[in-house]
Amino acid sequence: MIWFDNVTCTFVKGAGLFDATFEIEKGEFVFVIGPTGAGKTILLKLVYMEIFPEKGKVVVDKYNSSKIKQRQIPLLRRKVGMVFQEFELLSDRNVFENIALPLRVRGEKKREIKSKVYHVLDELDISNKASHYPSELSGGEQQIVSLARAIVKDPIVILADEPTGNLDPVSSFKILTLLEQINKEGTAVIMASHNYNLIKDRGHRFIEVVDGRVSG
Amino acid sequence: MMETFLYLIAEGFKNLWREKLSVFASIFAISIAMSFVVFGGITGQDFSRIIKVARSQYELQVFFSPVISDSEASRHVDEIIKIRGVKSANLVTKQEAAEIFEREFGENLFDLLRENPLPSSCVVKFDENVKKKFDVHPIVNQIKMIKDVEEVRYQGRLITIIERYYQGFFTIVTGIFVIILFGTMILIFNTIRLTIYSRRDLIRALKLVGATNRFVRFPFMVEGMIEGFIAAMLAGSFAYGFIRVSNYFLAVFTRYKIHWDWQVMWQFVGLMVLFSLIASRQAVRKFLK
Repeated sequence: MIWFDNVTCTFVKGAGLFDATFEIEKGEFVFVIGPTGAGKTILLKLVYMEIFPEKGKVVVDKYNSSKIKQRQIPLLRRKVGMVFQEFELLSDRNVFENIALPLRVRGEKKREIKSKVYHVLDELDISNKASHYPSELSGGEQQIVSLARAIVKDPIVILADEPTGNLDPVSSFKILTLLEQINKEGTAVIMASHNYNLIKDRGHRFIEVVDGRVSG
Repeated sequence: MMETFLYLIAEGFKNLWREKLSVFASIFAISIAMSFVVFGGITGQDFSRIIKVARSQYELQVFFSPVISDSEASRHVDEIIKIRGVKSANLVTKQEAAEIFEREFGENLFDLLRENPLPSSCVVKFDENVKKKFDVHPIVNQIKMIKDVEEVRYQGRLITIIERYYQGFFTIVTGIFVIILFGTMILIFNTIRLTIYSRRDLIRALKLVGATNRFVRFPFMVEGMIEGFIAAMLAGSFAYGFIRVSNYFLAVFTRYKIHWDWQVMWQFVGLMVLFSLIASRQAVRKFLK
């Protein structure tokens, strides 16, 4: 489903990802680990095609980074859910509106949007927060909303870039458990983290990135 | 499709509210500048109406040779009517000329001279709907070339002065209009640029969830158009106030009154919305890659 074929993508002063080749299967749960600045975020950005490789190719579902057209990128991103360390929620919209955003972008009908958003809110047990604004929520709750926004569009993969980076241990554990729960329903998850203690012994595959080199 | 369209329109309105302070400052600045344009436009339109009245009063008198008959003079009048810029040419026969003489001087020419020495003539009026500068001289020259025309009398100097002032006024108003309109476009362009900058979190979120460029850009364009519309309406209100005040002071010195023209006002609003759309479109194209 996701295939990195000899991918090199560099930034200034030689930082980046070098000759990365690996594959992630449909419905798989993968941890991307490595120290800060190792290239984990670059790897995720390559998946949702915010950046493109200088060498090699990244294939996500039917989209190939070397052939994809600019107008196809939004279509790819509709299939990819994203969760970030900084939550990336819109502060001037309430929880319902934040979660509904991907569905609005897809042009879904009001009734469908309402039903899907409330379904996800129920699933993640935050229905009582629907009318709250992000500033009224704790960090853990904001990350759950961010997760809800990622899954509401029924993606093929969720990319979580240090989703527990700003959370306390209890919230971090809850987020990880939720990601595993989502994965059990068939959605692939790629979670980047440098919190090894949190993710060890979870029984999932590891991809290690050190100085831009991928192993595992 | 329709729901998405309505959602994007609503987002445009909501953006105005979210950025109310900068939007208000921008709308206020634009409306103050544009009120001068509306005021100039309305006054210009009114001035054009006066010029039209003045032009309808322009006339020249063509005197034919005293030896030609009225029927020959009538043929020459037909030639004059065909000249471009001539609205009407009315023949004054020798007999009518004698009657005018008698009305004005109280003497009958036949009683005095036993004959009528007055030539036949004609009174020429011009087409007052000339858009550009009205120049009487080419018409006079063409009339003078007609056979048997002995003299052409007209208020050439007065016409020239009126037309020169009108042209000057027209040029200045047009110049100010173009400058302010250009300034307005820059203001709207800049407001949208600032809005885009302050909404970068939203733009990023939209792009990450798969929004197309059109989806991201549309609300900003709606916002620009609404800004233009509100600014135009405010400018119209300010200009209306100026005109009321101007009429109050004009009434002290003259009987002249500037007339409010709704047609000019709505044309202006339409133009402003169009220019706002162009400015915001340019801004989103430049700053929203």
